[in-house]
Amino acid sequence: MSETPAEAAAPSAPSTDRVDPLTDFTRALEARTGRRFADHAALHRFSIDEAPIFWRAFAEFSGLRWSGEAVPAISGGEVETARFFPAMRLNYAENLLYPRGDAERAGPDAEVITGWTEAGDIVRWTRGVLRDRVERLARGLRDGLKLKPGDRVCAVARNTPETIAAALACAAVGAVWSSVAPDMGAGAILDRFRQVRPTVLFTDTQFTYQGRTQPLAELVATLLAEVPDLRAVITLDDADLPAELGAGRVAVRKMTALGGSEDAPFDYPRLPFDHPLFILFSSGTTGAPKCIVHGAGGTLIEHVKEHRLHGGLTGDDVLYFHTTTGWMMWNWQLTALASGTRVVLLDGSVSHPAEDSLLRLVDAEGVTVFGTSPVYLQYLDKAGIVPRERFGFAALRTIMSTGAVLHAGQFAWVAEHFKDVPVHSISGGTDIVGCFVLGRPDAPVRAGYSQAISLGYDVQVMTAEGPRAAGTGELICCAPFPSRPVGLFGDDEGERFHAAYFAENPGVWTHGDFLELTEDGQARVLGRADGVLNIRGIRIGPAEIYAIVQDFEAISACLAIGQEDPQTIGGLRLVLLVVMAPGHTLDRPLQLKIKKALKTGASMAHVPAVIAAVEGLPTTHSGKLSERAATDALAGRPVRNRDALRNPETLDALAAHPDLQLTAAR
Amino acid sequence: MTQTARDPALRQLVIDWLDDNYHFGDAAEMIRDDGMSFLQNGILDSLGFVQLLLFLEERLALQIDRSDLSPENFDGLGKIVTYLVAHPDYRGA
Repeated sequence: MSETPAEAAAPSAPSTDRVDPLTDFTRALEARTGRRFADHAALHRFSIDEAPIFWRAFAEFSGLRWSGEAVPAISGGEVETARFFPAMRLNYAENLLYPRGDAERAGPDAEVITGWTEAGDIVRWTRGVLRDRVERLARGLRDGLKLKPGDRVCAVARNTPETIAAALACAAVGAVWSSVAPDMGAGAILDRFRQVRPTVLFTDTQFTYQGRTQPLAELVATLLAEVPDLRAVITLDDADLPAELGAGRVAVRKMTALGGSEDAPFDYPRLPFDHPLFILFSSGTTGAPKCIVHGAGGTLIEHVKEHRLHGGLTGDDVLYFHTTTGWMMWNWQLTALASGTRVVLLDGSVSHPAEDSLLRLVDAEGVTVFGTSPVYLQYLDKAGIVPRERFGFAALRTIMSTGAVLHAGQFAWVAEHFKDVPVHSISGGTDIVGCFVLGRPDAPVRAGYSQAISLGYDVQVMTAEGPRAAGTGELICCAPFPSRPVGLFGDDEGERFHAAYFAENPGVWTHGDFLELTEDGQARVLGRADGVLNIRGIRIGPAEIYAIVQDFEAISACLAIGQEDPQTIGGLRLVLLVVMAPGHTLDRPLQLKIKKALKTGASMAHVPAVIAAVEGLPTTHSGKLSERAATDALAGRPVRNRDALRNPETLDALAAHPDLQLTAAR
Repeated sequence: MTQTARDPALRQLVIDWLDDNYHFGDAAEMIRDDGMSFLQNGILDSLGFVQLLLFLEERLALQIDRSDLSPENFDGLGKIVTYLVAHPDYRGA
């Protein structure tokens, strides 16, 4: 891999008469390198073999604002330690608020944020309003609260324009943002925030879901008592919290009261490419949730690449992607502002006050790219809702789906019942705050598959014969990529980071998904390869369930697994296997008590559909409980690690358990 | 006499399902009367209605016409019981 002076040509700005950004970029890259890319496979191959040229060319094509140099594009060749653009400095917020190209031409009067609530209230912010809100708040954070680059800020936040303003104000001053949705249980939030140790907490004072409003003051009081180092609480919704909440130790302020009145332009500090931007959380089968630190430059350039080259987003688009502030898709859709795209938000339920409320939003706002999930599409199907009979969706040009496996039949359902537009099944995750496989605007869609591997990402599958570019196996990434986390927070030596992603297959990133890659570069995610569960599109780490269930004296051991069930929305039901302590039985009151504890301590997604008492749990010779063996046994598949178990008879008992038969009443 | 009083087993079946899946022992207390709206009172959301529907279809061995899936027929314990009892394939809970 090399980069010659001839190839390091002048930046190629997007043209004004383009077909789509991918075509434009391909032409620009051909002109720059003197090569011809006969098809997408050739372009993808180049993006891997000549990664430094590809990434530098894209950085310059993108029009992003930075200082310093785009050379070297990549420093180092190891996936675990390589750095992208080490001589470049930038500010994420500046790039979202002052985008170039189409967006720049639209100017400050263009509407860029539209916020709906389920009650029907709509807020519309122009780019000028958003800039003003962000810059005033950034001054308040920097000058009033003395927030510095690298300080952590956490948020218990609804999906509103105000939350976006707060996140961008933090990014503007170089602080690191972490948010959770307000319906997460206090225990789960504490497990996250206590590790991150924020100095500032943004919070809403209440939230409404499905018509029910719940206050958050009690949760805030718990966080203030349990999270050290907090020195300020700022209310996103500008409402009051009880005066005694801060108890003199912590300042409680309204967000609009914090902003300065200065009208001069805000001076965005340009920070190193790897400067921390977001901390996202991911829970696994053991230990506390991982605090995954994502850098500003890697997040920005990867999102912009995915949005423009794979999604075709431009300043003419309107994006709605269904998410809460606690899921990485919130961060992903936020970055669409850097492409000039208008972002539409929904605060509340997709099906309140009407069963088709979300569809109404998509139609009324002229959404061009609708991001949803297999779970929502299945809900529409099961409920007998035919979207095209109710709305025209005149502007809609692409539907994206993520969060779970989108089955081939659902592609057909969309074409027949929703709108016959390309369906992009995209997949990646919290760990990379982006996608490994996704769509592309220049090719027809094959039902059941993602159309492309992310450009610049050397995604392969690990098979029994080793890494392969086609076949079925665990998803690995074999070359450096920009959205690799910069590390895990609090893991100064990188030991947990290495163990999480690089220990299983040294030298490559191991992601935890099973994947099928076709010879022509399409991909199909088959499910998780580790013990992490995907319940109705939400990733659940069994460790968080174990932490709550272990407090029940009646339970001596437990195991949480997913059981494939076509009758369940999302296709997977959560099963909790328990071994009872001597003298205890699993009666109905105890089952309900366990479920309630999981709901209040974690979330509704952590509540099992079935709790089943068993005599023993599959355990390896080294004493580790095996979620994988139990999952295979319940699914009726050969158990891959049966020989590694000291009690394989437990698997037969599981397979025959009367409460775990799919025909059993539930 | 209401339908729910006439079919206490069916009424209990729905309450047990609500407890197993959403309210974990609090459902009976939350449903103050059989005419109370599930949607307006946070007892069930639209996704939950679909899950309840799938459960009832399987447990009671009947098919519910999706065009019948409206608040008029399902938004409340009394309405659900009334609808199901009138269903031509209903044989008891």
